[in-house]
Amino acid sequence: MNSENKQWIEVGTTDQIDMEDLIRFDHEGKTYAIYHIEDGFYATDGICTHEAVHLEEGIVMDDEIECPMHQGIFNIKTGKAMGPPVCIDLKTYQVKVEENKIYIEI
Amino acid sequence: MENNINYNIIILGGGQVAAHAATTIRQEDESSSLAIITNENYLPYERPPLSKSFLLNKVKESDFLFYNEDHYKKLNIDILKNEEVINIDFEKKLLESKNKKITYTKLLIATGCKNRTLDLENVNSDDVYYLRDINESIQIKNKLDLAKNILIIGGGFIGLEIASSANQLGKNVDVIELADSLMGRIVPKEIATIVKNKHQKNGVNVHLNTEIISITKIDDGYEINLSDNSVVKCDMIIVGIGAMPSVDIFKDSPLKIDNGILTDQNNKTSIENVFAAGDVANFFHPLYEENIRLESWKHAQNHGVAAGKNITGIKTEYKEIPWMWSDQYDLNLQLTGRCDQYDSFIKRGKDENEGIIYFFIKNNKIVGACGLGIGGKIGKDIRLAGMLSERKVEIEEDFLSDPSSKLNKLLKK
Ligand SMILES: Cc1cc2nc3c(=O)[nH]c(=O)nc-3n(C[C@H](O)[C@H](O)[C@H](O)COP(=O)(O)OP(=O)(O)OC[C@H]3O[C@@H](n4cnc5c(N)ncnc54)[C@H](O)[C@@H]3O)c2cc1C
Ligand code: FES
Repeated sequence: MNSENKQWIEVGTTDQIDMEDLIRFDHEGKTYAIYHIEDGFYATDGICTHEAVHLEEGIVMDDEIECPMHQGIFNIKTGKAMGPPVCIDLKTYQVKVEENKIYIEI
Repeated sequence: MENNINYNIIILGGGQVAAHAATTIRQEDESSSLAIITNENYLPYERPPLSKSFLLNKVKESDFLFYNEDHYKKLNIDILKNEEVINIDFEKKLLESKNKKITYTKLLIATGCKNRTLDLENVNSDDVYYLRDINESIQIKNKLDLAKNILIIGGGFIGLEIASSANQLGKNVDVIELADSLMGRIVPKEIATIVKNKHQKNGVNVHLNTEIISITKIDDGYEINLSDNSVVKCDMIIVGIGAMPSVDIFKDSPLKIDNGILTDQNNKTSIENVFAAGDVANFFHPLYEENIRLESWKHAQNHGVAAGKNITGIKTEYKEIPWMWSDQYDLNLQLTGRCDQYDSFIKRGKDENEGIIYFFIKNNKIVGACGLGIGGKIGKDIRLAGMLSERKVEIEEDFLSDPSSKLNKLLKK
């Protein structure tokens, strides 16, 4: 998809995500993970690249998300897989906040 | 390559510990010569897929290497493959394989575990399979292509994971287990029963409290009489009855061994400049104030990293909370902390769909936990239970047993 086809989709409000936590957002058959960390709100694909588990149940520590199944770790801001067992990065998405509403660009 | 070689640092064993320790050593020390010696024909790889996704043909060998060849080349780490060390002289700092003599200044022993074996009367040993390495997993895979009826001896994690894989490949599977519950004593019976029911629902026959009475060779396999009065026909036998530390080559040496190589919290063995880590090490754990030995993926990683640091002189106390998992079908089981030393337990959740967890409690604090759930259901709470045990947080039963209460609130107390 080229950038012209991208659109901003509302995923929730800022008070829905605790600090150092995430929520799951499903849209058109895909799952996204929306995070609230010290530096703001971020979004990645919502499913682990290792064995297709929902990151929704994972744990946020600083700017990393740890998968609940085998503790694979990704950087929330860059999507980078930080080492075995995960080796494929997570896709990341642009996020903007307007009047307490969170939008991601997909 | 020459037959007499010297390295500043040698890692004996080329598994998970080796991959992480070598990489860590290079982060701290660019100049020492460094080699991994392994009797396998592969670069260090992950073992969990061997009983699961690799058997199911979902991944191939290159998918679960810790690092590719380039990584080791770039870091100037030599990997001597197919070199079984058969003798060691700690005084001379010398390792011997069939064709090589290799000396070292510092040594990290990371030889892992080897499987316990079973003598089965009337059975050709070629028909009995064990699982520890890639080659054995490939052999099992090849035989599974042809076999229809599989007998698995031992209802521990690895046996059950193979049962789950073989069942998913459409095979008839029987599992026999001596004890009255699957997966040993540390997994709560209720959780073990859910796992057993899952196997049975999928068509696996699970025989608890059962042993083999007799085996008869028949045309295309074996007929086996079991103590529960059933008769099982099989064309393949897989044995998974646990493992023990690979320490045979140290038998006549001064290295102190007791259920693995004894080390302190800094990977140090009883011999100067000799370190040990991973499955083979029975290490002192400062939090538990005694020696423990673990066979787990996460431990091998972190203990390897700690060993890498300790070898380069960066004193690193290893005190990670134990954690391991087992995947069978869509079930994910996790254990954390100490699951064998507690006064009472508190249960959270009712079944695998909701996620069921047993928190093990001592002096009103969590010391360990065991959980089972579909997919990643219990991962977060098990992780938090580990953290709570580390920080020795006092708990309240009502809070802990309520699946809707968020455990991370306790951490922020
Ligand atoms: C089939 C299987 C499934 C598993 N699944 C899980 C799981 O789901 N979750 C989990 O937490 N853990 C799991 N584990 C455990 C985990 O893989 C191990 O704890 C981990 O591999 C230990 O790492 P290590 O480096 O100590 O030993 P290993 O990875 O076993 O490496 C030891 C290496 O040393 C070599 N070696 C031994 N002796 C010599 C010698 N004399 N000369 C040369 N080389 C030698 C061996 O061949 C081997 O390559 C599993 C293990 C197996 C076997
Ligand atoms: S499924 Fe996420 S780390 Fe394995």
